[in-house]
Amino acid sequence: MGQAITIKGIDENGHRIKSKALEDMIQEAVKKSCDLILETYGQHNVGGRLRRKGGAVNIRVRGPVGQRLGCMGRPGTTIICEGPASDDVGYLNIGAHITVLGDATNGACNAMAQGKVIVKGSIGARGLTMTKWNPAYERPELWVLGSVGDTFAEFNCGGIGVICGVDPKNPKNVLGYRPCVGMVGGFIYFRGETDGSYSKTDVRMAEPDDEQWSWLLERLPAFLDAVDRVDLLGALSVRDEWKILIPLSPQEKALLNSGRMNMQEFRAKTWNTGFGGGDPLRDIAPGLERGTIGVIETGEFRRRRPYWANREKAAPCTFYCPIHIPTVDRLRLIRDGKTEEAYKLTLKYTPLPASVCGAICPNLCMDNCSRQLVDQKIDVAMLGRAVKDTRPPEAKPAGGKRVAIIGGGPGGMNAAWHLAQEGIEAHIFEKEGYLGGKVAQVIPWERLSKAIWEAETQRFMQMPNIHVHFGASMTKQELERLKKEYDYIIIAVGTHEPRRIPFPGSDRAIAALDFLKSVKTAKPFKVGKRAVIIGAGNVGCDVACEAYRHGAQEVTLVDIQKPLAFGKEKVAAEALGAKFRWPVQTKEISDEGLVLSDGEVIPADTIFISIGDIPALDFVPETVERFRGWIKTDDAGRTTDRKIFAVGDVERPGLVTNAMGAGKRTAEFIISQVKGEEWKPFVQNVVDRETLTVTHYCPADSSGDTPEDQAARCLSCGSCRDCHLCETICPERAISRVSEPGGTYTYVSDDDKCIACGFCADTCPCGIWVMRPY
Amino acid sequence: MVSIRSISVSPSSLIPADLPWVIQHREDRCTLCGRCTSACPTQAIYLAYRRKRMPKLNIGGEIGNDFKTFTGIRQRTDVAHRCIGCGMCAMVCPNEAITPGPNPNDSRLKFHMNQGGEAWKRGGRRNNGDTILDRVIFTRISMLTDPALDAGRHEFFINTILGRILSPEEYLRRKAAGEWIPPTREIFPFVIGSMSFGALSPNMWLGLLQGVAYCNEVLGIPVAMATGEGGCPPWVLKSPFLKYIILQIASGYFGWDEIIRAIPEMQCDPCAIEIKYGQGAKPGDGGLLMWYKVSKLIARLRGVPEGVDLPSPPVHQTLYSIEESVMKMIQTMSMAWGFRVPVYPKISGSTSAKAVLNNLVRNPYAGGLLMDGIDGGTGAAYNVSMDSMGHPIASNLRECYLDLVAQGKQNEIPLFAAGGIGKNGNVAQNGMALIMLGASGVHIGKYMMQAAAGCLGSERNRCNVCNIGVCPKGITSQNPKLYRRLDPDAVAQRVVDVFLAIRTEIKKIMAPLGRSQSLPIGMSDALGINDAAAAERLKIRYIC
Repeated sequence: MGQAITIKGIDENGHRIKSKALEDMIQEAVKKSCDLILETYGQHNVGGRLRRKGGAVNIRVRGPVGQRLGCMGRPGTTIICEGPASDDVGYLNIGAHITVLGDATNGACNAMAQGKVIVKGSIGARGLTMTKWNPAYERPELWVLGSVGDTFAEFNCGGIGVICGVDPKNPKNVLGYRPCVGMVGGFIYFRGETDGSYSKTDVRMAEPDDEQWSWLLERLPAFLDAVDRVDLLGALSVRDEWKILIPLSPQEKALLNSGRMNMQEFRAKTWNTGFGGGDPLRDIAPGLERGTIGVIETGEFRRRRPYWANREKAAPCTFYCPIHIPTVDRLRLIRDGKTEEAYKLTLKYTPLPASVCGAICPNLCMDNCSRQLVDQKIDVAMLGRAVKDTRPPEAKPAGGKRVAIIGGGPGGMNAAWHLAQEGIEAHIFEKEGYLGGKVAQVIPWERLSKAIWEAETQRFMQMPNIHVHFGASMTKQELERLKKEYDYIIIAVGTHEPRRIPFPGSDRAIAALDFLKSVKTAKPFKVGKRAVIIGAGNVGCDVACEAYRHGAQEVTLVDIQKPLAFGKEKVAAEALGAKFRWPVQTKEISDEGLVLSDGEVIPADTIFISIGDIPALDFVPETVERFRGWIKTDDAGRTTDRKIFAVGDVERPGLVTNAMGAGKRTAEFIISQVKGEEWKPFVQNVVDRETLTVTHYCPADSSGDTPEDQAARCLSCGSCRDCHLCETICPERAISRVSEPGGTYTYVSDDDKCIACGFCADTCPCGIWVMRPY
Repeated sequence: MVSIRSISVSPSSLIPADLPWVIQHREDRCTLCGRCTSACPTQAIYLAYRRKRMPKLNIGGEIGNDFKTFTGIRQRTDVAHRCIGCGMCAMVCPNEAITPGPNPNDSRLKFHMNQGGEAWKRGGRRNNGDTILDRVIFTRISMLTDPALDAGRHEFFINTILGRILSPEEYLRRKAAGEWIPPTREIFPFVIGSMSFGALSPNMWLGLLQGVAYCNEVLGIPVAMATGEGGCPPWVLKSPFLKYIILQIASGYFGWDEIIRAIPEMQCDPCAIEIKYGQGAKPGDGGLLMWYKVSKLIARLRGVPEGVDLPSPPVHQTLYSIEESVMKMIQTMSMAWGFRVPVYPKISGSTSAKAVLNNLVRNPYAGGLLMDGIDGGTGAAYNVSMDSMGHPIASNLRECYLDLVAQGKQNEIPLFAAGGIGKNGNVAQNGMALIMLGASGVHIGKYMMQAAAGCLGSERNRCNVCNIGVCPKGITSQNPKLYRRLDPDAVAQRVVDVFLAIRTEIKKIMAPLGRSQSLPIGMSDALGINDAAAAERLKIRYIC
């Protein structure tokens, strides 16, 4: 090709040619010659983008050169700048070889992707930043004989820098401040001191390995030749003096980000040491464990634990029965095929199961029967009647203690029954010639079968240790005598004094008590066609029924308030046609009948008064305090006379079963006294209905006809039914059934398996398993 | 059929749809493993047996009913056993069979959270996800105007100063005269706000401090942590980590005997002393540590009987005016450490904050003011106090800052802001917004519990039972069976994660603003908000 063409940067008039014009001149010239000499005068972007088809282009640059020498330089272009260069030498270079035989300022090799930049002096800041390398081409290289300025090789992605550290600008730091920030590719070889400020989160410093060292060693002579310093070859070939900065891999960076020190290591080395080598709470909480546990734990880490509270709470039947007959237990015995035992158990509590439970009692025990959550309550009356012919329970032989019981009604009878079983002689002093008190005297035989009653009183009389003295009238003197002869006295005379209100003509009214007693005798009172009963309670209802039976055709019950009558009695009276009127206030009884306060007259031939009875207590000594006509007693039935007790209606009016419950209670107290034991009254709480799981049972259409049916229907509240459901549901297999000698058993939960899910408690049909705080 | 006798309703009978959280259980996925009921902190769920009636409706054939029993996990609907939505059931379920879902209907529970006449007390937060802070954006982005900064590349100085800064003239004068110079601390602008040893479990409290120590000693991030009012374990007081701790004194004075006892043995001074006059979550109401949480350890540290309620009075018993308070408290606390420790008051966000601030400005011993806004959290408070008492922090802080500016004192007494920073997870953005509105730094509490320990609480009344010591994560329980679930090392690691990330985000906010060498305190020209009224109130640019 032709001769070298020289292009001047100053025109003939001595004016600087604009960069754009010089570029046009160069592009023209390069079409003609591959050797250009550029006498620049500060023009920018010189030497790049040279468009020549085939063949190399050699450019020598003389004179002051502007910025971006060799910008966008192409492969095959060689530029030698004979003096120093300004900013951004080799900007976006993709192949030119650029040699600067002096210093270069900032930004050398910015975004260079291929080619080589050689600097004989040093460079300014931000050299070799944003370089790229496409492996299909040669790597870009920057060779600097001296040093580099600050923030070198930022975001370097592929460029190789070789910084020789010869006559550096700052001998203490040949790499400038904070090189290699964001660098992800390439290498930096350097020789000489640095301030160590290279970005340690991006690169690591190393000794060049053999391959790296030979790469450098092979290329050093050419570099030194280019900058005309071959003399330095020996000095620069000392391997120990070279270091290399290598970018970290993302994996290495991730490790850095996870912390410079493992937390366990920090705890051991720094944290614990700060507290004299141990847990910082060891002084104020010696032995405090703080080690980590899981969310689902067994053993002592549970916040709750199951407890098998078998028989710790009373079933509603037991709880609400005033005698606390454990119906739940007798039903279990029946389920177990021990029917006879079940009946015997009943008889331990009451001598009159057929008469009371089976006939006249409103069965408070069943008011809250849990079976009602499924279908109907247990038929307990059937269970009572079933016991009619069972033999009385065993009694202990008489032990010498004797109790006098004044009154042979249900309260006195039950007291005697319990005392007798424990070998305490019970002497009943009964005014009448038969037992039963009001039960026998006033309850119509229609409601209490005479056959049942007689069978049960006979059984009562068969009980050893019971002695009945009929026709015994009581006086103060007599009582004093009994007090001396007997260890204890129980007053159980009931209420046999009809209450009356002193309105005009009140003496014409027949007391309900007297009437009901009379109808059970051979000489009943005569009743007119129209009867009025003052007082519409259950006794009033009994009166109404009996009045109908004895001639009345029209019976009206009046009351000052809403009638208290309920249950069988009320139903019976209404069935016979009895009318209830309330609220009415009686003014007087005239010949026409009952005159009300508003003047209305209810015509009546016979008028009954049925507003309750009060006790007749003439025989009771002054030492026994009373309250409004009734005897004051404590929880055990004790009166203010320590030797005298009172049970039943003399304490407060109630049902037959209340009187019997009181008899049992006082008998138990006396038994404990005699034995020298602590009296344990019935204090169990009732089972909480919420704890039962009743959905295990399916509703049935009828409540069944036999005691066995009742036993099957019983939910066994509070008392284990031995159903194995807890064992089955336990997800950890922690629950097992443990048989004990004597046929008993317990269910136990293994603390080492249980996770305290509470499924046992949620499942137990009987409410036995409870979760307790732990 | 269930007997009608078993169905009763009381005034407080509720159905699941009345509760804020409804348990969704899938019987087809359930393996009846018992983990959900075991984990539930309130025993809200149980294994239920249900009966199904299958009538045989055969015309002319057999008629009657068959019954079938099936199981499922059901929720209780009584107030005491309500589902709190914590989600522990879902966390332990091996089969994704159960999870609480928020009730999209109106909850009727609030009408019944006063059983026995006891007004609703709870822990947690305000149950209000709104915050103006989330809406503040940084609008001044330097591109070609200012030096372009790169968060990843450039170095930043992002610490703040806690303590009284003298004016240059006064500083030079005192320096020359050899007079006392008020102490200052260079700390990271995000401080772990006051949560007491007692409100937090030992594992949580110590885990936080361990993370703080790591940030300082390994990473060089000078994070400080405030103790709250419950004292500080003696070994901690005597440790080299005390310098990262801001000790709080409050009206209950809990734990101060141990602190005073330890003074002669301290290896270093504490970072600062915070005098609590009020708390953002329950302004006008005192601290409350309910009896459930006063364990043997807490009782020992605080010098109180075990298992009793520990209320701190709403006011300091013997302080009757700002002047007296400053005199008594600031002087006493300053003197305890030879005037080497910054002492500053913490008050509830309130319209009276400016009056307090102006008093402090005149007091050379006041090392700053911490204002705690209504969105702050707490371990226990009356619901009404938490929901309705107080002042949002943004305008409160702004007003105080502009007041300082008007007096030319904005660079002398640092204001710290707290209350709801990061309530929706935007902690760095919220904090930087407050800093650019005038705060020298912010305190973060709830965010730390959520981020560092996995607190399950939310602004939708999720969990929020910190007060009764049943925290299912063990963060706020004093029961070792619960707090041992929390690994202090894991908490510490998360503290480190949080502060590393906050540091990066601060830089990501600062770099585009062209700031790298000082925290942009009060740089409100860089802020914008798409709410004209808020813009006017905060004196920042309205943008849309």
